[in-house]
Amino acid sequence: MDPFLTSRVVTDILGGLTNGVTYGLLALSLVLIWRSTGILNFAQGAMPMFATYLGFALLSYHFGYWPCVVACVIAALIIGGLTERLLVRRLYGKPEINPIVVMVGFLIVLEAVAAAIWSSTPRSLPSPFSSIHWQLAGKPFALSPFTVYEIVTALVVMLAVAALFRFTNLGLQLRASALAPEVSRLLGVRVGRLLTLGWMLSTAVGVITAILVSANFFSGLTPTVMDGIFAYGFIAAAIGGLESPVGAITAGVVLGVVNQFVIDFVNQNAVIIIALGILVVSLMVRPSGVFTKSSQRRV
Amino acid sequence: MPRDFSGIDCERDLRGDLQLRFVTPTLTHQGFKTREMDIMVKTKTRRVTITGTALLLVLGLVTAGGSVVGAGAATKVPGVTARQITIGATEPVTGIASSGYNQVAKAANAVFKWVNAHHHGIYGRKIKYVIKDDCYGTPGFGCTGVPNTATQTHALLGIPVFATVGSLGTPTQDSVRALLKSNGVPQLFVASGSRDWNSAHKYPGLFGWQPSYNEEGKIFATYIKSTYPGANVCFMGQGDDFGQDGLAGLIAGGVKPLSADLYSVPDLVATNGASVAPYIQDFQSKKCTVVVLDTIPGATDAALGAALQLGYSPHWVISSVGSDPQTVDAPFVGKVPTDPEIGAVTFSYLPTTTTNSAWIPWITKVIEADPTDFPGFTSSSVLNGNIAYGAAYGVSFVEALMATGKNLTRASFLKTLQRVTFSQTPSLVPLRYSTSNHQGLNGGYLTTVISNAAMKPLTGKVYTADSSTDGRVTAATKLSHGIPSWLK
Amino acid sequence: MRLIAVRFRVPIAIAIAIAIAIAIAVTVLAIVAAANVRQGIALSIAFDLAVACVVVMSVPGLKASHPVVSRAALTLLGLDIAIFLTYFFSSSTNFNLATGAAMSIVLLGLSFLTGASGQISLGNGAFMGVGAFAMAIWANHHSSTPIVLTLLIAVMCGALVGLLLGLPATRLRGPYLAGMTFAFAVAFTFILSSFSSWTGGDSGLQLPTAAIAPRWLDGFFQAGTSPLKTTTLYITDVAIVVAGVAFFFMANLFASRTGRSMRLIRDNDVAAELVGVSLPRTRVVAFIVSSAYAALGGALLTLIDNSVSPQTYSFALSVTILSLIVIGGIGTISGALIGGVIYAFSTNFISWITTQTGLNPQGNLASQLNGIIFGGLLIVTMLFAPFGITGAARLLWHRLRTRSAR
Repeated sequence: MDPFLTSRVVTDILGGLTNGVTYGLLALSLVLIWRSTGILNFAQGAMPMFATYLGFALLSYHFGYWPCVVACVIAALIIGGLTERLLVRRLYGKPEINPIVVMVGFLIVLEAVAAAIWSSTPRSLPSPFSSIHWQLAGKPFALSPFTVYEIVTALVVMLAVAALFRFTNLGLQLRASALAPEVSRLLGVRVGRLLTLGWMLSTAVGVITAILVSANFFSGLTPTVMDGIFAYGFIAAAIGGLESPVGAITAGVVLGVVNQFVIDFVNQNAVIIIALGILVVSLMVRPSGVFTKSSQRRV
Repeated sequence: MPRDFSGIDCERDLRGDLQLRFVTPTLTHQGFKTREMDIMVKTKTRRVTITGTALLLVLGLVTAGGSVVGAGAATKVPGVTARQITIGATEPVTGIASSGYNQVAKAANAVFKWVNAHHHGIYGRKIKYVIKDDCYGTPGFGCTGVPNTATQTHALLGIPVFATVGSLGTPTQDSVRALLKSNGVPQLFVASGSRDWNSAHKYPGLFGWQPSYNEEGKIFATYIKSTYPGANVCFMGQGDDFGQDGLAGLIAGGVKPLSADLYSVPDLVATNGASVAPYIQDFQSKKCTVVVLDTIPGATDAALGAALQLGYSPHWVISSVGSDPQTVDAPFVGKVPTDPEIGAVTFSYLPTTTTNSAWIPWITKVIEADPTDFPGFTSSSVLNGNIAYGAAYGVSFVEALMATGKNLTRASFLKTLQRVTFSQTPSLVPLRYSTSNHQGLNGGYLTTVISNAAMKPLTGKVYTADSSTDGRVTAATKLSHGIPSWLK
Repeated sequence: MRLIAVRFRVPIAIAIAIAIAIAIAVTVLAIVAAANVRQGIALSIAFDLAVACVVVMSVPGLKASHPVVSRAALTLLGLDIAIFLTYFFSSSTNFNLATGAAMSIVLLGLSFLTGASGQISLGNGAFMGVGAFAMAIWANHHSSTPIVLTLLIAVMCGALVGLLLGLPATRLRGPYLAGMTFAFAVAFTFILSSFSSWTGGDSGLQLPTAAIAPRWLDGFFQAGTSPLKTTTLYITDVAIVVAGVAFFFMANLFASRTGRSMRLIRDNDVAAELVGVSLPRTRVVAFIVSSAYAALGGALLTLIDNSVSPQTYSFALSVTILSLIVIGGIGTISGALIGGVIYAFSTNFISWITTQTGLNPQGNLASQLNGIIFGGLLIVTMLFAPFGITGAARLLWHRLRTRSAR
């Protein structure tokens, strides 16, 4: 059993799974925003990053890790809500490229302001679990307590979001507002409020990702820590379909595993190139995503 | 602009052309909105009036008057007056390479400021050091300067400067070699260990300063051969001159690594250090007991961190570029019980703070006297590698100026530099150039990291090597000694 | 004479005669006064050319009947004035202008793509890199090729890559296209690393020889100036001429049938299809044009810097390009020009702000000023003035005109 568990293939799969769940979470938050407001949010990595900085600023007041995590989530909810109210509201009904350009600008501003306040030197964050990999019969195993925590947290969040949408009244209202806003309005649903809530939720999902990623053993929290995750998260969402949460998560996990194999068997440079290639091919074959049920064409 | 709920609108637009507008209502999730489709009909053209000609008439008269503008009278020696000598450098003050490296030029400037204040400059000329931020040529990552070394070098040349002193970076300085040469501006003491600065025939005004990565590699090879004979050695280096020259030096010195990997800096930054982990994993599976790192501090951290995670602890041999204990240990403080760099062997061409070199208190004194650039630095502050490096080349420049004499021209300065051996410098070995060798310092000793702030010499024996294909390493016979009296 | 109405013929003839007389007088004056005869001749040619352009443009009805000639005259006039001015600027300013000229070409390409055909690309920085590296690699292997030819080769490389990326782009809606070009921009540096034996790895490449003015142009520069000033002046003038040619072609493209069908697709693609415009083909053509222009800008930048480095062509550059054209004015030619000027002097502007507000230049805030200002301007412009400075200026002029009409 041990040789199997520490074999190259299993190591790659487990390592890829660890990264893949973060891509999947980010892809999920992208899908949440797309489905509720029809906007591709390029600042989807930067907003949680900023919330993480705000939350962990409490460290200097001698709060522990878990209280800071709670603070991060609260900060994320606030940032998501404010962004929707102040920035995104003005963009409904405008040409498609306007929101994209604005969110790219927002990405730049958030990273610049974070670096202006907290500097771009990497910030070490405390970690609740050790990052040292377990050893099986003297050989390193691909998982450590921290990576298990990462995977479990990600799965819990995904299930929670799924449960929210499927089983709660709020979830039903969110889905209705996205699908048929006029009808929902007529039925008494406060569409505007729910759009704000959609953004808040997606930023909260993003901040979980950011917290998991920033406790990176190597260098910690920097303003650009989410850039790579965003790139792969977007690719996963585009491949799986911006309309489909399940597709986004699946594509994210698969992409993470594929990446790990590419790093191991090819080389590091090839990873993003191959990911780009997969994206291009998948968009040519199914432009609206692999997992999208109906192929709509907006006329 | 009137909006009807439907129909055709007819308007004249900004150019005077006619615009027909079709306005139709559409239903969106926000409610009713109007959508417009414009069809433009050209009905008019414009003329440029004779006032345009009148304007150009004025221009023409200015032409005639302006054609007597002659070239400005050039100063005798660019950048040099009776009272001041102006030198410049392009440095990563902000941006990706700035943490740590932005202290280097500031330390040199502290030396110049001190010499200006305490000795009224050299032969009455105060030294003005103009530092331009080129962000290591890399935009983004907090760059506030101009991420283009050529642009910043042009700006320096326009001042004009007597020479560039201590500009940092291999690719950045490579890109302006031709520019500086064609303008006759000396490119002095480039802050990089590449062998590119040692091309005296092609670039007579170009001088390196620190020992080359190649020399360092040879000295490492000697150490590894004698301390770990027959061990499996693995190498990880940066994917440019730094790693490639270092590897070549290692091999020339007699150590052939089992596995040699080169990492790329943009990859490193993009993945927050994770790009290095597969290499370390590879080293572990190949059972390497000695790992040589030709890495910048960020990559050193990534390698040490990856090894920690995998439970892998080889003997580390780290290049002087990326071994500064304070810089390297910073991310690990509080996360691991002991600094992972402790016990690593590295190379140093400047005296460590644990020795009793007279230069250590002198440099401390000079830095303390500069609270503008080094606020809060006191005699009990850590004198890290970056500060020591900058102060050292600052001293070299000042000594070279002194040796040239009052009659200062570019030619006389370069001649002096290639003739004189500077044996009272902060570096362990004297600084010496010749008409055929522009590399600079060629030796140092091996040190070991003892804490997260200090290193101490391993044996204290100083070795020298050269940058040729010859792998020989010899013990240094002449070391530098003391501070010149006029500088104290 | 056919296109000139009868009643204008006499005044036009008189105007031409006066202009020619002035031109001859100034020429003689220039030759007599100039220290360097060739220089004097050059300056007087510049003046005469300017006069000729103005005269041509004064012909009524020219813009309607011969728009290409009218644009050519305007371009020549602009180039004339620009080159004339570069003689008087410092080499530092000239260098900045040259960089701005190269950037304005790239902006032109993106302006066309976004404004004229409604597609968005976040990868123009990468296309710049394609052109830049193509130029450097070719120059290193075939150093005897004249500059113009190497530039054209770089443009073709850019167009080729644009075709490769543009083909899948035809089926994509805005966000997906944005995302795909974003992925390409991010992947570009890694593509460069993969071929590091050609691209010089992290260090990049240098051009084998610095760009020096050819012999026959030598005498037209002021005698007795430093080699720095002459080289910089030459390369700046080359950059301005290339930019002028690029603007000329773009202006014609905007107004041509292709340009019109692109704008129709932007506004209402269903109507365009009904009218018979081929959607995929037009979209791909727009994409190719935009990437070719970006490649030209990148190649020119390599020429100016005499070197190329992979770190320059990152995603951050693509964002800078986007911000500049949004601020200048999407879909307009003057927007590209404004954006280029802003780029040329933005660093001076930021260091001016730093000194005015007394910020520590090495402090955290000062180092991020670039990002904060550009990102902020991008958001504000897009929200409140989506058509940039050009759009706002036009709106203002329109308001002033309608006001005066009442």
